[in-house]
Formats: sequence, structure tokens, C-alpha cells
Amino acid sequence: MMHQHDQEDRVRQILSDLTAVPVAEIKIGDRLREDLGLDSVGSMELLSMLAEEFDIDVEMEEAAAVADVAGLMALARRHLE
Amino acid sequence: MNALVLGAGGFLGLNLVDEMRAEGLDPLCARRTRTNVIPLRSRRARMVHVDLDEPDSLVAAMAGVDVVFHAAGHYPRHSQDGFGAMEVGLRQLENVLDAAAAADVRRLVYVSSTATVAASPRGLSDESDTFAGAPGLGVYHDLKWYMERRATRERRFEVRVACPGACVGPWDLRVGTSALVVAAAHNLDVPHPDGIVAVVDAADAARGILRLGTLADAPARVLLVGGNHRLHALRTALAERYGGPPPSPPIGAAEAIALADAEERRALREGGRGRLSREIVDLIVHGVPIDASLSARTLGLAYAPLADTLDRFDAWARRMRIIPPLENVA
Repeated sequence: MMHQHDQEDRVRQILSDLTAVPVAEIKIGDRLREDLGLDSVGSMELLSMLAEEFDIDVEMEEAAAVADVAGLMALARRHLE
Repeated sequence: MNALVLGAGGFLGLNLVDEMRAEGLDPLCARRTRTNVIPLRSRRARMVHVDLDEPDSLVAAMAGVDVVFHAAGHYPRHSQDGFGAMEVGLRQLENVLDAAAAADVRRLVYVSSTATVAASPRGLSDESDTFAGAPGLGVYHDLKWYMERRATRERRFEVRVACPGACVGPWDLRVGTSALVVAAAHNLDVPHPDGIVAVVDAADAARGILRLGTLADAPARVLLVGGNHRLHALRTALAERYGGPPPSPPIGAAEAIALADAEERRALREGGRGRLSREIVDLIVHGVPIDASLSARTLGLAYAPLADTLDRFDAWARRMRIIPPLENVA
């Protein structure tokens, strides 16, 4: 089972790949749209990449509710527990 | 029937996958590397990686497939590069057709557009009203005309063509044709020209496309439209539905085209999305009222009334937070 800090590192890496924001600059409180520049399509792409990376099945309603990095981490934790 | 859906993760594709599964079919769903696969994963859909620019991936995905549903025809993000759009659209279509021939596919259903429907001297246009040459009404119209012409000239296997109107319904995650509804729900008054908009419920369009692929006898080309509406009247009705102020009067066609071009060029420079896109303006300004009785009769379709379509879209869009959830509405 993947440890929590490994999960968070992977989430940050995926975010960085998609936004070109360096991993070290991505903070837990960052908002996907306002701080990381992801529009709604980019946010969905991010969540899709996350679902594939961790092989988790997320419902669109749940994905649509994620607005920040903390929400992303929480979603990954919920599905991997 | 072994079926492959190209564009399965898109708006119409997801509606098509749902229709197919409701009919007991389990289609193979083509997805690109960067497709949002969350809706397909939650459906436990069988997926295969396909890139329309990689012929080998197409041939591999079509192995053992009887019918290909091609709902991934190039839709340019803007209308500022006609040559580029044409080059991409026709090249990708050629790849799809060549792969289908190589894989011995029996039938391909190509999803085109009502942009290929010409005005009729009779009033309502039907399948007989076609342009003799490229319409010259904008990049989108010309692209869809050239692509449809190429598809209908295919002789290595059977091709049937579906021309859906402006689809409205669940799974428009990128907010394409549903943008009018979403704008009204957010009380946004984006300048628009007036004209005819032929609307179809996305589920009806998907059902028509599916039956075009499965029925032994069906027309080679059908129009899929549930109703014809004047845009300004439709925007006024939507504003009333969502309790917003009435929309501003329509702007003229030339002004709308200039505004859309400027917005697209700005979006290209600065990123993001323009308030108005050129292909939407062209579709409105040159929109024709359509008689879709051939598809209703031959494919057994009963088109949903617009109010039902809007209710379905509304319920879904609130769940997806595309429009404000009801608890946030004053």
C-alpha cells in the first residue's frame, strides 16, 4: 500500500506536469483555478490522471467538487484507504 | 455486434455509450491519452488508447470490430486557421477510413453536423438540401462539408452519416452547445446575433446514431433535430427559466462575426476561452430550420420536447456544479 506522503508526492508531481508549476511551489492551500491556473477542463484532466495513476474510481460529482490541492489529497486518501 | 466508439469520452460519445449499454451492447471505447476517463471508468467501460494521428493505434483498436461509430471528427478550437483545421480534419478522417478498411470493418457511422445542410426554397430543409460545393460560410462549415464529402465517397465499406443539430443534455463537460443554458443560469448576457438554432436532445441524437449503426435498413444520411428555435426567443425563455433579466437585443451578423473573431484572437494570445466563438456565430447566422422526419420515421425516434431536455440537462449540470446548485440559488 502506498504511504500517505508518497501519495501526496505523486499528486504534486501530476499537478506539476499539468500546470508547469514546480513541485516545490505547490502548496496544500493552493486553489486549482485561481492559484494554479487550471480551468474546468484542466481540472477534470487532472482528476482523470489521478484516477488512472492510483487506479481509483471516482464519480464525476465527487471530482467536480474538488477545488484545491487539499481537496485532491483528501480525495486520493479516501479512495486509497 | 462488436462496436468501437471513437470519441467515447466526449459529450456525444458518452451519451452514445449509455444508449448502447441500455441496449445490452458493450462497446469498446476509444480514448486519447489526455481524455477525461472518469465517466468511462465509472461506467466500467472497456477502453483502448487511440490517437487519430497514429494509424497503427486505429487499426489495432478496430480488430474484430463490425461497426465503428466515429464521434471524434475534428472540431477546431477556433476559426482563425482554416487551412490548419482542414489539414488536421481530413488527415485524421483519412486515417480512420484507412484503418476501418484494413480491419475489415463492415460499417462506419460518421457523425457530421447540420452545418452541411443548405437552405431550402420549401422552408424546412431536409436530407435533400445539400451544398453543391464548400459552403463558404466559415471555417467550421467548410471543414464539416469537406469531411462529410470524404466520408460519403468511401467505397471500401458502408458509411452512414448522422447530422445532429446543437446537442443539449448531460455530459457536456466542456460546456459546448449547452453554453447558452449555462450563461442564462449564471445571468450572463453575452452578445449574440439572431438566427435559427436546430436543437436536439443528446440522448435522442445518440439513439439515432446507434440505430444508424445497428439497423439493417437505414438511410445513408440523416438529420437529427428535435426542434427549430429562434435564438433570441430561446435566450429570452432561458432567462425567464433561471429568473434572470431578459437578454440584450441581438447584434447584427457582421458585428457578431467581428466580435467572435476578436475574442478568438484574444484567447489565442492570452489563453482561455473567448466569450463568443466564430463557429457558433456562423451556425446561428446561417442556421436553417430543419425537418428531421426522415430520421424519426426510419430510425423510430421520438424527439424529446425542449422543456424535457432542459430539465434533464439542468439536473445533471447542478450535480456537476456547472450551474449553481439549487441550495445556492436565492
